[in-house]
Amino acid sequence: MQDFLQTLVGGLSLGAIYALVAMGFSLVYRTMGLVNFAHADVVTIGAYVASTFYLSARLPFVAAMAVAIVVTGLIGVVIERVLRPLENKDFDLMLIGTIGFGIVLQAVAILLWGATGRAVPSPIRAAPLAVFGVHIRTYSLVVLAIGAAAVVLLGLFLQRTKRGAAMQAVAMDHEAAAAVGINVGRSNAVAFSIGAGLAALAGGLAGPLLYVNPTMGASLGIKGFAGAILGGFGSIPGAIVGGPAIGVLDAFAAGRFQGYSDLVTFLVFAVLIMIRPTGIFGERTVNRA
Amino acid sequence: MFRHFRSSAAALALTLAGVLALAACSAPGKSSGGGSSASGPIKIAVVDAQSGQLSSLGDWEYKGAKLAADQWNQAGDINGRKLQLDVLDDQGDPTVGTNVARRIASGGYVAMLGTAESAVTIAMAPILQQAKIPNITSGQSPGLVALKSPFLFLNGPTSTTYDETLAKFVVDQKGLKKIAMLTNNGAFGKGEHDSFMKSLSSRSVTPVADKVVTADQKDFSAVLTAIRAAKPQLIFLGAEEVESGLIVKQARDLGITIPFAGAAPQGTPVFRDTAGVANIEGTYVSSPYLGNTISDAAKKFATDYKAAYGKDAELHGAKAYDGANILFTALKSSNLATGQALADAIRATKYNGLLGNFAYDGTGVGIFATSIGIIHNGQLTAANG
Repeated sequence: MQDFLQTLVGGLSLGAIYALVAMGFSLVYRTMGLVNFAHADVVTIGAYVASTFYLSARLPFVAAMAVAIVVTGLIGVVIERVLRPLENKDFDLMLIGTIGFGIVLQAVAILLWGATGRAVPSPIRAAPLAVFGVHIRTYSLVVLAIGAAAVVLLGLFLQRTKRGAAMQAVAMDHEAAAAVGINVGRSNAVAFSIGAGLAALAGGLAGPLLYVNPTMGASLGIKGFAGAILGGFGSIPGAIVGGPAIGVLDAFAAGRFQGYSDLVTFLVFAVLIMIRPTGIFGERTVNRA
Repeated sequence: MFRHFRSSAAALALTLAGVLALAACSAPGKSSGGGSSASGPIKIAVVDAQSGQLSSLGDWEYKGAKLAADQWNQAGDINGRKLQLDVLDDQGDPTVGTNVARRIASGGYVAMLGTAESAVTIAMAPILQQAKIPNITSGQSPGLVALKSPFLFLNGPTSTTYDETLAKFVVDQKGLKKIAMLTNNGAFGKGEHDSFMKSLSSRSVTPVADKVVTADQKDFSAVLTAIRAAKPQLIFLGAEEVESGLIVKQARDLGITIPFAGAAPQGTPVFRDTAGVANIEGTYVSSPYLGNTISDAAKKFATDYKAAYGKDAELHGAKAYDGANILFTALKSSNLATGQALADAIRATKYNGLLGNFAYDGTGVGIFATSIGIIHNGQLTAANG
């Protein structure tokens, strides 16, 4: 039982990161119908910026994260602006555009910070808590707390603010939204920035847990993407459930199947998707292009 | 009009074919030995991962090789030609590596240094063997030796040596019998697993736990909990720098306080930084290069390295430095031979390097001993006895 709980805790720590990545994917997909393939590399940039300000400039961890979110938010605005001419016109080219941006971001990361990567010490010095024999890293609790806060803030933004409501409207029918005077381009820019900000949050939080290097976005991205699909691509609650689900599945597969854990995780994922293609909170795919 | 177009198109096609045929006849980069190109720099390929979790290995290897090349170029030239190192990125991927091998074969390179990943080196070896291009690699997997390629040389001991020395220390000397093994399923991890297991078996020791993880794994709660339950006295690590560091960090978080043991990756600053200095205290490391102060040659190397790059030297840079020096010595002694002649010259080279005395045998291994160090305060110090 203790082993079960310990594995669960381990899976949830990374699962929270996957949830943040998944939320970014789902948000952009929900509002623009676009799978942002640059998302994983924005996670990497976020991790690098946060760790640079935390390590070199010696800013408090929270401040470093805030800077990272602002910087990546700007990157999101830039990406959206560059791809705007393609919006609602050529979906496939836009998709390829994001792939291109991803490659550019990874190259920029190597140019700016080198290929070697860096380890980030945990901002929480306290020793792990021992609850009923289960060890819980205090930092993991912080990650879960921040993740939960991000979810709540995002929910409030989407439901309670005018901008958020405008984004929902654009998602439902962009032509009708434009007809009632919503600036679709600007709304999409906001969506992209928030998505990028979520990526930065994920990357910055993942830094002390893992190791910051130019390809860290790749494995976080693919599992976050799988989490988003599992929860229902485009659904924010789906991302919150799907991310930890993948994390926990991965942790248990690693314990049981050792070297074949990735194989088992994605096999189970494939079976689940075959049973329910739209995911847990499945919404019908947004109709675009 | 169309007929005219078609016949001129045919003429153009024939001309193109003719040009291509001529170009193919005089392709650069001979595949067999014989005369080398008359002038221009001596082109040597340095192949490693330039990005990704293993890129630090590539960085260290290049720095070590470059330091050697710069020193040789400053001291003079070989038959009037300078050494030129070209860096090629294999992305840590064996498939990309085979592409790089083909580029090397047709690119006029006389030899290759690298890669630091055994899996990629093994993938590239058949192509380089066919092209008769000698390769001095930093890999250490016994799988390299099993290839039996006359063109493949190692710039350090194999996993077998590392782990036999380690097993001798922990079992025979320290008397530790309850040992857990935690390795990954990459070429290096598998090599470490098999070598250490063999060394343990020869001492009639069975590991209390034998767990395998994937090379990309991030969370080790499940395997570490299982290992903790087996109550070992020591955990043997067979994974690269970053993954080992994450394992140690998470193990300490889970309340596992017993020491770890390992080979080359455990002696690196990346392992130390990823795990945290406090967490690696007391780790046993099997390494042919315990530190930058073990000998006068090591001190000089470390000073030159620091002056050139502003960073501290470590094992992988030292290995690359030795390997490069052996290659350049062979180039000089053989009068810039290529192909089989160069391979023979490398095999005949006796070199007193930072890692020890190199004397290559028929299998491409030149050095057969390592030392044991213990990490104290983040630094490797020689173990007593």
